[in-house]
Amino acid sequence: MSEKTFFTNPAVSRVLGVAGAVLAVIAAMLPWSTFLLNKGAYPDKATLQFFDAPFELTGFRWELLIIGVVALVCAVAKVPAQRRVLRGLGAGIFAIGLINFGFIASAGGGLGAVTALDGTFAFGSVAALVAGVLLVLATIGQPLEEIPRWSTKLPTPVAYLGLVVSFAALLYVVSLTLTAGGQGGAASPYSGPMFLSFLGFAGGMFAGAAGLGVLKWISRLSEQHRVFSIVVLLLCALSLPFTDAGSEYWMTVAANIGVYAATAIGLNIVVGLAGLLDLGYVAFLGIGAFVAANLSGAAASQLGIHLPFYLVVIISAAIAGIFGAIVGSPTLRVRGDYLAIVTLAFGEIFQIAARNNIGGLTGGSNAMPNIPALEWFDGTAFNESITLFGAKLPSGVLYYFLIVLLIAAVMTVFANLKNSRMGRAWIAIREDEDAARAMGIKTGQAKILAFLCGAVLAGIAGAVFAHKTSTVSYESFLFMESVTLLAAVILGGMGSIPGAVLGASLLFVLPEKLREFSDYRLLIFGLALILIMRFRPQGLIPDAHRRAELAGEDAEGHTLQDKPGGDEPEQPKPQEVPAR
Amino acid sequence: MRKKVATAAVLAAGALLIASCSSNKNEGGSSGNAAGGNQCDTSKGTLTIGVIVPLTGELTALGVGIRNSADLAVSQANEKCTVKGYKLVLDPQDDEKNPQKASQAATKLSSDPNVVGVIGTLNSSTSQNVQPILSNKKIVQISPANTGPSLTRGEQYGTAPKRQFENYFRVCATDDNQGPFAAKYLVGKAGKKKIAVVADGKTYGEGLANEFTTKAKSLGAEIVTREKVGEKDTDFSGVIGKIKPLAPDAVYYGGEYGAAGPFSKQLKEAGLQIPLMGGDGIVDKTYAQLAGKASEGDLATSVGAPAETLPEAKAFIDAYGKKFPKEGYSAYGTMSFDATNALIEALSKTLANAAWGEDQRANLIKNVQDYKGKGANGDVGFDQYGDSTNKLLTVYQVKDGDFKNIETGQADK
Amino acid sequence: MTTLLQQLVYGLILGGTVGLIALGYTMVYGIVQLINFAHGEIFMVGAFGALATFTWVIPEGVKGTWYITLPLMVIAGAVVSMVIALIIERLAYKPLRNAPRLAPLITALGVSVALKEAVRIWYPGATAPLPFPKEFLTGSIELGSILIPKTGLLIIVVAVVLTVLLQVYINTSRMGRAMRATAQDPDTARLMGINPDRTIVLTFAIGAVLAGVAGVLYGVHINNISIDIGFQNGIFAFTAAVLGGIGSIRGAVIGGFVIGLVKTIAGQYFPGGTQYDYVWIFVVLIAVLVFRPQGLFGETERVRA
Repeated sequence: MSEKTFFTNPAVSRVLGVAGAVLAVIAAMLPWSTFLLNKGAYPDKATLQFFDAPFELTGFRWELLIIGVVALVCAVAKVPAQRRVLRGLGAGIFAIGLINFGFIASAGGGLGAVTALDGTFAFGSVAALVAGVLLVLATIGQPLEEIPRWSTKLPTPVAYLGLVVSFAALLYVVSLTLTAGGQGGAASPYSGPMFLSFLGFAGGMFAGAAGLGVLKWISRLSEQHRVFSIVVLLLCALSLPFTDAGSEYWMTVAANIGVYAATAIGLNIVVGLAGLLDLGYVAFLGIGAFVAANLSGAAASQLGIHLPFYLVVIISAAIAGIFGAIVGSPTLRVRGDYLAIVTLAFGEIFQIAARNNIGGLTGGSNAMPNIPALEWFDGTAFNESITLFGAKLPSGVLYYFLIVLLIAAVMTVFANLKNSRMGRAWIAIREDEDAARAMGIKTGQAKILAFLCGAVLAGIAGAVFAHKTSTVSYESFLFMESVTLLAAVILGGMGSIPGAVLGASLLFVLPEKLREFSDYRLLIFGLALILIMRFRPQGLIPDAHRRAELAGEDAEGHTLQDKPGGDEPEQPKPQEVPAR
Repeated sequence: MRKKVATAAVLAAGALLIASCSSNKNEGGSSGNAAGGNQCDTSKGTLTIGVIVPLTGELTALGVGIRNSADLAVSQANEKCTVKGYKLVLDPQDDEKNPQKASQAATKLSSDPNVVGVIGTLNSSTSQNVQPILSNKKIVQISPANTGPSLTRGEQYGTAPKRQFENYFRVCATDDNQGPFAAKYLVGKAGKKKIAVVADGKTYGEGLANEFTTKAKSLGAEIVTREKVGEKDTDFSGVIGKIKPLAPDAVYYGGEYGAAGPFSKQLKEAGLQIPLMGGDGIVDKTYAQLAGKASEGDLATSVGAPAETLPEAKAFIDAYGKKFPKEGYSAYGTMSFDATNALIEALSKTLANAAWGEDQRANLIKNVQDYKGKGANGDVGFDQYGDSTNKLLTVYQVKDGDFKNIETGQADK
Repeated sequence: MTTLLQQLVYGLILGGTVGLIALGYTMVYGIVQLINFAHGEIFMVGAFGALATFTWVIPEGVKGTWYITLPLMVIAGAVVSMVIALIIERLAYKPLRNAPRLAPLITALGVSVALKEAVRIWYPGATAPLPFPKEFLTGSIELGSILIPKTGLLIIVVAVVLTVLLQVYINTSRMGRAMRATAQDPDTARLMGINPDRTIVLTFAIGAVLAGVAGVLYGVHINNISIDIGFQNGIFAFTAAVLGGIGSIRGAVIGGFVIGLVKTIAGQYFPGGTQYDYVWIFVVLIAVLVFRPQGLFGETERVRA
């Protein structure tokens, strides 16, 4: 890539960058569709004539305008790491163009809808696509710059202020993401593409911010002020119901996501820390849920006892933990992918047993319905709506609070485990089991303990799950759920705590947001898994310790691949330890 | 790096191709207004009817049939201006047959004040989750397919029935109607005394098989074995090898046609020339296609009078075929059509002299409860538990590659 | 006794199918250490490819002539499977050759989901099971009171013959040596003038062809196919491959037969009956792995390919 080409000329890059940014701004004001789509105008005056109402831009065209203006500023001014920033913004612009191009073309029946038809012109999406390409082309001529390092040696109040502002912005983005495009359905028929466009916009802006080094700065700052950041983050999470996203629907979804996020953190111990692949992990969630269902006075339970919630949680966790140790016990002799299939086998056995109503404990095909909701001390059921600080919060919000606290607790446990003697033992086993044993680590014990800890966390999540959904059926614990959980962990970044939460959120929010593509949902899920593994196998938020080994990044997080002159670096192939 | 970009471009192009392949709307021209030709007054706004069924996964065909039939009912109502002043729209939600996803879908619909009612769900297990959520908001739910008796009459549905939810209705027969009816025919009329019972492990199939077994035993038949097959099985040799030495003279199958057809075929190929009997879940032309010639003589029960004998059913089938030439209405299409019409008629009555608001929901429930009509499945109406009053059941037999009705009668209850 | 023998026959037929799929798992794993989860779907795609050929390509007149129709369908299934597998290998797996070990596994899961959904969405009528033609090969051979379906016999024979051929090919041919060498040490193999990429592509192709053949024969035998046949048989085959010792050719097929027998025998005689027959497969698997973690033939036969 170091040979001279047209694009290596700095002047050309500069012109391309400015041209791309300007074109993006123009694209925002161009018409996007040549005629009205079936379900009404898409989206937000997209059929406007050129410059009809440049100040009335809404939706994705408003987003495009913002990102275009930012790109223009960055292309003209001398910002640090200019090429990185422009590349990120360009990708975002391209994504917005591509999503709307594809949607209008497919929903409108052809290319005529996005170009020219019957004397009407609508080149908005094409212009956005070209703008995105130009911006990216402007950055390929020269190697990307180092991500700038901003000083984090700040006076404490300033640092705190920075963190509060950053996390508040994060909360705002989360709320925007959830509400982007509306709830769909008849009221907003185009919520899917509008949401995707928003993701393109947010992704582009994030990539730009990352290029500027802002994200790295925040993460370093928060590592310096750990306790403070955790408190602020927790407060932010708890205040989500007070934002626009605080509808009953989103609280329900958020609580469900929370259950899976907690489970994913548990799985992260097994897969991320100890490196033991588990393909049947959802079974532990199921065990926790079924135990809770039986102990909480569900009508179909044959035990007929109703224990207080804290006891139920403890028992669920304990029983799931016992099963975890049992499943983990073959690890004494079985390694690697062979272990993966043992766990898969266990997951299938659990599912079949639950389906056949084993011991009358699972209800079989009838499931375990009508599990009573949890009750607050004053007798308010958790699924009722409450009033807090003068704001009327939707029903389900108490479950959301409970689950946020649960995740916080699970994260704390995980973080402590990770930095404990045992956590280091797990990481050692993951890196090289034989070496770990040679160093005196009791590998068998450690591995079983990993399974046990993971299962306990899933069991706790399961107990909450049972009360939250009120019906526990084997159908919630199929192989596909295990795959989704594993995908969440790997997507987020193995061994990384925020990664697991982010991964679970994405994998459970996206299907909800994209309901109108429901026919294509699983297909998109599959393709997304492939693409993510192709372009970011280390996960979205890689664990600091793992970066170097996984993606060929150095300790600072710079990708070695992008360094000047560096062809694809020859990475050591992970050694497969033959099972014996 | 360049390779990476190239791959990305290829993938993006692929995604685009997929997107454009999926185009099934042919707007072409510049006048893409869907409301064309509709003369109704829709000044008061738009009301939404929700549908919660599986639209992905192996039950897709059934879910799509339900959704399309509801869609047909809604568009007919819009053409006929059934609900004065309002336009009706359908809002289908996928539950992936997963109770938790169903509850999210129900929450989503219930938080919309313009949702008047929900058609669904397909599976009883998902309904268990949907019922309380919709009940909280007093939203009418009419299921075209839930057959579990406990949904309306509680766990002790046989001995001490008790209405579970005021807002919940269904237009289909319950397992405890259909199972015994089938037993009476198979044991009484057809004179089969050694019967093997097989079910697919799902709520519908197991419930049906259980009710059948109880009645068949009381009529003096011997149930030689009770087997279960996996819901995704295609190879039934294990079960067949087990049934064969017991020499039954009939097999009762609780489940849907997707597995029942191949099962029947493999049964006969293994040398068991005995009829298979099933419930309404197997009454579909596809069954005979899957089971091949060997299925001649196989039996099934279904709810309501036979479709050929009802003008309403013929009208439905014709209209459906016109609107959805590619997707079948499947086992529950007629039920879904009737359910949606019941909801729309009740809505029209509710809004005859009132404007829609969430306070109208209680009236709507009352009007659905009182609804009496004729649908594609015969009479439509609801009893004091919310169950269908239409207890008419028909026995069908496969003849010349499709189900032909041979007997219609009343269920005991 | 009759029942037992009959169940053994059914078990062997299932085993033949599973074994043919397992060969693909074991070869691919042996050479690139990837659990190719999508392999079960390759099997499914092969069956659908053959069905499409039968429906739209083969002329009406010869559809009933088995010696024309069946070979055409088998070839079509094999070709479709192979093409899909090679596309997947090129686009999804090859870029990840040096990625961390879990990455390709997740990719494989993604490919599996995507393939299944693609068939469901774009193959007409695939939302429900589809009837698969077999009119040209019906009936059973009767041995006393035991029935051996002709199609079942075909599966068993094909499975055994293909396994022997494959084993001979790998042990004697130039490409076979290249495969074994690449499996043992790709870098050294490269130094010896072997092109590992080509070898890997060949491995995928052979595995996919076998799966495609298995898919067609399974369809003909079972008489119907659905998009779900890939997942379940894929898991059986994966189990079979591990059971036989991953990397071992005959291990995979013998593992397949063991799986088939365990399923039918357990369904007949073990507590729980057919409700729990799958469970016993996994129980046997776990037991084998715990007491002989390298699988049945994992160590005696060090040659991987």
